[in-house]
Amino acid sequence: MHLPPTDASIVARRAEIVAGLKAIVPDGVVADESGLATFDADALSAYRQTPLVCVLPSDRHQVSEILRFAHAEGIPIVPRGAGTSLSGGALPRQDGILIGMGRMKRILEIDYENGCVTVEPGVTNLNITKAVEAQGFYYAPDPSSQVACTIGGNVAENSGGLHCLKYGLTTNNLLGVTLVLPGGEIVTLGGKCGSQGGLDLLGLVTGSEGLLGVVVEVVVKILRKAPVTRTLLASFDSVPAAGECVARVIADGVVPAAMEFMDRRAAEAIESYNQPGYPAGAEGILIIDADGVEADVTHAVSRVTAIVAECGGRTVEATDEKQRARIWSGRKAAFAAMGKLGPDMICMDGTIPRHALPAVLAEMEELSRRHGLGFCNVFHAGDGNLHPLIIFDMMKPGDFEKAEEFGADILRLCVRVGGVLSGEHGIGVEKRDLMTDQFGEQDLEQQHRVKCAIDGRGLFNPGKVFPTLSACVEQGHIHVHGAQLPHPHLPRY
Amino acid sequence: MSAASSEPQIVEFVRAARADKAPFEIVSGGTRRGVGRPLDLPPLDVSGLSGIVKYEPEELILSAAPATPLAEIDAVLAAKGQRLGFDPADWSRLLGSNGVATLAGAVSCDASGSGKLRHGGARDSLLGFRAVNGLGEAFRAGGKVVKNVTGFDLPKLVCGAHGTLAVLTELTFRVYPKPAHHMTLCLADVTPEAGFAALRKIALSALEPAGLAYLPAAMMAGVGQGAALIKLEGARAPLEEKIALAHGLLGGDITRIAEDPFAAIGCGEIFADAGGDIWRVFVAPSDAPRVARELDARHWLGDWAGGVIWLAAKPDDASRVRAAAAKAGGQAMLLRAAPESRARHGLFAAQPPALAALSRSVKAAFDPLGLFNPGRL
Repeated sequence: MHLPPTDASIVARRAEIVAGLKAIVPDGVVADESGLATFDADALSAYRQTPLVCVLPSDRHQVSEILRFAHAEGIPIVPRGAGTSLSGGALPRQDGILIGMGRMKRILEIDYENGCVTVEPGVTNLNITKAVEAQGFYYAPDPSSQVACTIGGNVAENSGGLHCLKYGLTTNNLLGVTLVLPGGEIVTLGGKCGSQGGLDLLGLVTGSEGLLGVVVEVVVKILRKAPVTRTLLASFDSVPAAGECVARVIADGVVPAAMEFMDRRAAEAIESYNQPGYPAGAEGILIIDADGVEADVTHAVSRVTAIVAECGGRTVEATDEKQRARIWSGRKAAFAAMGKLGPDMICMDGTIPRHALPAVLAEMEELSRRHGLGFCNVFHAGDGNLHPLIIFDMMKPGDFEKAEEFGADILRLCVRVGGVLSGEHGIGVEKRDLMTDQFGEQDLEQQHRVKCAIDGRGLFNPGKVFPTLSACVEQGHIHVHGAQLPHPHLPRY
Repeated sequence: MSAASSEPQIVEFVRAARADKAPFEIVSGGTRRGVGRPLDLPPLDVSGLSGIVKYEPEELILSAAPATPLAEIDAVLAAKGQRLGFDPADWSRLLGSNGVATLAGAVSCDASGSGKLRHGGARDSLLGFRAVNGLGEAFRAGGKVVKNVTGFDLPKLVCGAHGTLAVLTELTFRVYPKPAHHMTLCLADVTPEAGFAALRKIALSALEPAGLAYLPAAMMAGVGQGAALIKLEGARAPLEEKIALAHGLLGGDITRIAEDPFAAIGCGEIFADAGGDIWRVFVAPSDAPRVARELDARHWLGDWAGGVIWLAAKPDDASRVRAAAAKAGGQAMLLRAAPESRARHGLFAAQPPALAALSRSVKAAFDPLGLFNPGRL
């Protein structure tokens, strides 16, 4: 882990900084050792650092004052929602203020006439849906951590989920944000209107991983629940056959609401974990949701069933809502179930073109042999977003390093076939040093110039996303030890 | 006119312009040169950067050079039953241009037609691009896969930037299956209030409409005081089901229209022969009837279920239109006007100071000397 070195002169001013923050938020400064320990990592818990101080503002004016103070004093800022980032986006700094947005959790307006909801950033993803579901609406992006993760964090990470194949990522479901800039100025980007004119700064800020400012208000689109949803379970005798099926479904023009893949090792672990009823002996399994009006769903189901058969697979359909839930419960418990496969594992997150699925799945087997480590595959197949889980033993000397090399090789493979380093977890500190594998020097410099244009002093989440020239090549991952995930109550898929 | 037909040529041109501190206008098909503040600068013709670079129908991904004609892309995609997601609008008829509307022109002007409702704007399907920045450096941004959160989302920025950030050299889009059939339904003789309410009801249903517009009597014959038009699409059976569901939601006398009226609505062609300045006023859909009454234009319509109001206004109405938009928390775009008027009023109203400063900083991060289309946006 190479964050920029801790600035001792800031640490030396700690008492003064704590006092400065208490003057702004009298009831929301955490400075004691045990209090700060609860904020020392996000869900990429292999990396930990105790923040200099944590501040929990309760309104936008306090946020603005905090940023103005930090800017004047030259103190780094790390924004944090619920701390569920899988890429270390909210990893604190010993010389930085951690600004936790969890207290700002009011739903400000539900506007059914315009199909949108205005919330503070600390509202959880799922609570937006809960607020509108009685009227038949929902908020579409559904990251696996949706019971805990906040909408502010979703904006920062441009979060995805199971259903973004059809409904898009956060960026496609966002109408506006109010942002506090590094100097403390408050700007509103976007809104309920059909268009705003000017540069699309809303699009830039979404997915900027806390490098450009702090979001204090969010307007999201809500959608009407589809009248019909049907779920299919398809099983195959080989992994490439399942990959072929995914590519053909996409090419056929069918857009399933979700299309998830798991290999035999994963399916068996899940089956023994919570018995969702997956077919025994299949090398690859797909779970496919089709939603929409009845005739659309009927058409999609018949096309998918035919394509599965063409690829040598078999299809079973959930007969009722209970069985649908059971099939999905297995998929959603995948991470927890995988924890039983080995003492430790790391989860990768890359995206590839869908036609490359069969070849990439085959090459991962080869990489596994070469590195001498087992792995299994559970991922969002429909949009080519891979989540290979590498199994290793931290207690075995050299095993972790091998796992890291294996993981980096998988991501490089993704880039080589035309894909990218991250489909939904973000770069954070985890993949920062692989950025040069995907982008050339001028590509990265252009991004960095945008960063500098907004945060000229480089105080916002320093050490994340962009590789530093001095850093040696390294990679991080979701680290799971002894089947204990950070946020163990959250499903991970 | 200077011309460049490859990325290296553009790099060379920009480096020379940088050395001379000589700003220029970027031109491909030229159909949208009449949009925004007029530029009195030497143009760089990039129309030679044309053609589809790679089309993978099975992957639903298309990469094309910036000056590729929209018509060419449409035809190539349609042959495989696909289409661009942002319903690019060709404004040439409205703006009286004989040029050829291109991909980069539509992207740069954020020109979406009525179908924006379905899959969003260009920003929602532009996956990646290559370009040359104001330092004369070629760079690429985004990717060529549908799900990507690697680094800053720069593709969003070039959509609607009116060529002020970089000279685009390649664009990669996610494309979508094109439904086999469509049908437009008409709810006739309704007030703007009732018409827009009906449109919003469909917008917030699960019917995935491809067009939702209200036209007053002056814009459409034989519809009494005005019509709510609803375009639905799909394979035959799903389309019939959606039509039946729309009947259920709206009740009343809904008729089917044989011709697709949205072809002339989304690109503003319906206003081509209307005199005066042409505006697009963006508001929250529920504000549309009130704002439309306040604007009090004879020739007007509301598209995107009320998210945009098009109108023809007298040149001296500019301040009034801007004020009405501002009052509703919206934004008024002066799409067609005489050069003096465009110079005076700009494409959009001035942004609040903090936002304007932020936009300037971001612009400078791409083009520090202000070489590209300065002042157009």
